[in-house]
Amino acid sequence: MMANISDLSRVALDSSRDSSGSGSSSRSLRVAESMKKKGETNPFRSALSSLSQVREGTTVKGNDELERNLVVVETIAFGQGLPPEAVSLLLDLALSLRSGTCSRVLKFLIPASVVPQEAIVRGVSWLCVGKMPVNAQVLFLRWVLTVFDLIDCKDHLRAIYGFIFSFVTEENLCPFICHLLYLLTMREHVQPYRVRKLLDVQAKMGRQPYLMQLLALYKVFRPELVSFSVPTRMRTGFKNHNSTWKAALTAVQRKNRAEVMADHSLTVEVKEKPTSRKRKLHHLDVPALSSAFDTNSERKVFRLQELQSFTELIQNIHNIELPAQMGSLLGSSLALHYLDCVQDESAFLRLNFWLGHSLQEEFLLCPADGSLSSLAEASQFLSIILSSQQFLQESFFSTESFLYKFLTVWDGSLLRTHFLDLLSHVPLMPSHYIKVLVFEPLMQLYFTSAVFFKCSVMECLNNMLVKWLTWHSVNALEDGLDISLNSNGTVTMTLSGFMDTIIELVRFVGRLAAEGLRLENCHVLLLSQTLTFYETVCDMFVKYGLPLVIMPPAGVFYPALLATDSLTVDRLGYIMYRYRENLTLAKKQEQQSEQTFHISRNTYQEFNQHLVAMVSCLWNSKSFLPGTGFEIDECLLTQTKVPEYGSRFDLVHHPAFFKYAIEFHQKFWPRRKRVDLASIKVGKYWNWYVEFLFSQGFDGLNDFIQVNTGHSSSSVLCQSLTLFICLSGQCHIED
Amino acid sequence: MATVKWPHFFHFSAPHSVVNTPAHRPDTRRSKSYGRSCVEPPSLFWQTPGHLTTLGHRIPTSRRAAKSHNITTKVDPEQVALLIKNEWKLSHVTPLYRFRHTQLKLYSKHLAAFIIAEKQQGVAVEVGVEAGFKVTFSAVLGIAETKEDAETVFIQVHSKPLFSADTPKAVWRGWLTCVNGDPEYLRSLPPDFVSLPLFCSSGPEYLTALVKSWFERTFDCSFGSLYLNSTMLNWLAALWTGCHPTSNIRYLKLAWNMPSQPPLDIAYTVNPQDAWELWNSIHTEDSTDDRINIEEVQLFMNGLEIHFFRHFKIYLSAGTLTKVSTALGSAHHDGKIKIGSSDYITTLLTLLTECALMKTPV
Repeated sequence: MMANISDLSRVALDSSRDSSGSGSSSRSLRVAESMKKKGETNPFRSALSSLSQVREGTTVKGNDELERNLVVVETIAFGQGLPPEAVSLLLDLALSLRSGTCSRVLKFLIPASVVPQEAIVRGVSWLCVGKMPVNAQVLFLRWVLTVFDLIDCKDHLRAIYGFIFSFVTEENLCPFICHLLYLLTMREHVQPYRVRKLLDVQAKMGRQPYLMQLLALYKVFRPELVSFSVPTRMRTGFKNHNSTWKAALTAVQRKNRAEVMADHSLTVEVKEKPTSRKRKLHHLDVPALSSAFDTNSERKVFRLQELQSFTELIQNIHNIELPAQMGSLLGSSLALHYLDCVQDESAFLRLNFWLGHSLQEEFLLCPADGSLSSLAEASQFLSIILSSQQFLQESFFSTESFLYKFLTVWDGSLLRTHFLDLLSHVPLMPSHYIKVLVFEPLMQLYFTSAVFFKCSVMECLNNMLVKWLTWHSVNALEDGLDISLNSNGTVTMTLSGFMDTIIELVRFVGRLAAEGLRLENCHVLLLSQTLTFYETVCDMFVKYGLPLVIMPPAGVFYPALLATDSLTVDRLGYIMYRYRENLTLAKKQEQQSEQTFHISRNTYQEFNQHLVAMVSCLWNSKSFLPGTGFEIDECLLTQTKVPEYGSRFDLVHHPAFFKYAIEFHQKFWPRRKRVDLASIKVGKYWNWYVEFLFSQGFDGLNDFIQVNTGHSSSSVLCQSLTLFICLSGQCHIED
Repeated sequence: MATVKWPHFFHFSAPHSVVNTPAHRPDTRRSKSYGRSCVEPPSLFWQTPGHLTTLGHRIPTSRRAAKSHNITTKVDPEQVALLIKNEWKLSHVTPLYRFRHTQLKLYSKHLAAFIIAEKQQGVAVEVGVEAGFKVTFSAVLGIAETKEDAETVFIQVHSKPLFSADTPKAVWRGWLTCVNGDPEYLRSLPPDFVSLPLFCSSGPEYLTALVKSWFERTFDCSFGSLYLNSTMLNWLAALWTGCHPTSNIRYLKLAWNMPSQPPLDIAYTVNPQDAWELWNSIHTEDSTDDRINIEEVQLFMNGLEIHFFRHFKIYLSAGTLTKVSTALGSAHHDGKIKIGSSDYITTLLTLLTECALMKTPV
């Protein structure tokens, strides 16, 4: 059907072209036409073909046949849109003014799929003939702008750029012509004589937004030809001229097209400049994308401002031109994609100079003339840096060096989350540097600030550790001991250097956490953040392949073990379980290989000690007794007058689980008036109680007990310790 | 269980290990720092491990004494005269990207067009058409001292009166310079960059802002105000006083601002001969390489302050030194200078270049 129509329309087109030529050929065509018509009766095609034969000077009034045909085509047009050939044919009919139905035809010219560019070229040629009334000219141009995205190809249109340009002097057409030119302009179109012409027009017509837009585009392409500053309060863009067709067009498009027209989710965001007039300095503005003027460059380049979609980026990635100000890349997500591929050292240096300067001026030098930006602006600026760094998964070295300076003068409250986030992006560096540059100033802030700041610091350091470990597992060089810190391999770090830094960090956090917990009376949030950190630490070997196991200090372990909330104890269980997994794997590796292993005997001892303490406390009701890892003098314990102090921290009496024990008791012995928790510890009740606890979601504890007893949770109580000793023995095989 | 990544450097084989990194990793992610690290040289940030000042720069503790230097033998005297006339407002500038001393004519045209376009917001201007403003860029050859220093660039903006009978009048002047800049740092910059860290301007504020803005857009650099701290002013006071025997400094004027209620400004003028004698008693001149130490400078200033205390019972050290001036020049802590004599211009510019370079962010 489609093919038939196109055949027909081609014939129709030919015939209309020939209409001025020999009558005989057109007659023979007409004969062929009517022959076809007999075979298949399609009112649309017959209407179209007769419309194509309309001759100049046909009267409209009282011409029923014409009217009928128009109605048929109009109905189809609004219903399902017109095929490309019909669009050409009808456009030609309208603009040739043969029938006096120009505006009517234009108004229902709804393309179903694409518009052939030749139709537009012919349209422009009709425009050049100069017989069209002004309103028809305007309508035609508005129609072209509306269907612009549907034009199949634009190279021929660009070829007649000069013809289109000549209409800018026509006052009525100028806005539409400017818009059309804006859509068509390529670098080669921007010529000095055109610039001069536009300036003339501007001098005559004043600061019209459409002229400014076109001139701004000219400046993008040839900044050496035109200088232009966009006023802050300029109305942006062009007006939409699609009102006549919009509704019908979208309806038809929706019907005919399954795929979406264009994915605009990744377009370059043209940043709206905040129009605050107060500030004199704009050092916290991300500059707008603009092109550098480079007069001798005749190379075909693609400018970032032109970039509309990710596809365009991929297609032009080999000849994209960097903007005049590298900082402007941070303002656009597409440009960031490109930044990730940039290989130019100077480009990065430019970016870093700008970024470093902005940060320094704002936060370190603080200009005395009161031009300091507002807090909101500062935080927005830092957010841009943060999101860029997150996107690139790397920090800028200017941010880094700024942070080291800033940490020494920071009060710990100004834009806290931003700065701590930035700090967590700091790249790996040798341990003696990190100590001086980060840990020392941070420690001062930590110990002089409130508990919430301490929590934020813990979180920040955990993120830092995770980033470093991830980075290590991705970047470790295959065959050497060295880890390249950059592409050139000029800065490398040995594995032992890397381990030193990690050890330094973990120890540092251990100190902060232990002291912090003491100062803040084991604040539950701080404890929680600390455990989050150790959740990362305990899995360094299994998860990140770093042969390093560092146990938490007593100042962290015991507060967690004796905490009053069950979640903390549960997390500690999970952490100890993961430590065991890591150590077991390490042990296995060690036995399989000839080499001695990195993990020292001390670590195993520490682990065993913690394990024994935890088990004797929670499971065996033997806390504080000799040989359990944390021993308290008996005299002291009796002085507390707590009866049966050894069992005060078992799973039944532990303050964290007390509530569950009571609940369990009530469920099992609903009639008992006197609560006797000790009865839970007898025989099968104990197993049921443990099951009950696990059913409450204490997965960490579950893992811990399962892996350490070697049986399911309902195993017999006294088996556990023997197995621990077994593990300890195994561990002590060291050396 | 999590996947174990198994790099080889563990020195043992891992039969059951899961992921082996490919033998030739095509490309490790490079760092944006590109071989530059802010904790290694040539970064000005990091100088000696363990000694980190707030802004982390190396501050020299000794300098060569100011020597009279007839600069007009090297530099066009007309250009020198331009530098000496005005009071200059100082700024520091990050290195200019793709600035070429061979393109100065082109820059003149562009800056002129830019100024006009900015003045008439929204009306485009064709580059190269002179209307209202004329800009000239010129290189001041000979001010640079070392081969790392880029040549000084002088910019003048002339306004052209509507009725062209009058000659254009210079409404704004400015220059970018680098004298004895830290050679290690300058060498470390890629060849695309030209470092002219010190920017001096004189003229209406809006033109300064426009020129800065044009430079920022064209050469991807950033400007910041340069303030002179009291250490710098102390240096200047001592260096200038030391010149007295060879060229009469006529006076040593110092100004302090005291943090009292209400604020108290103190102007302290010292007889040049007295100042020199004080300096001479502190500074021992060794003939080979005449250098001045920071301790000597401190002693000199202390001497002046003690003398003042004896008379007025005011500790000047409690206030801020705001201004130092002699016949050789003057410097204000808010970043304004005047050059009194071309003979000592090198000493002054070396000091200011150093100040400006210290503000370089990376």
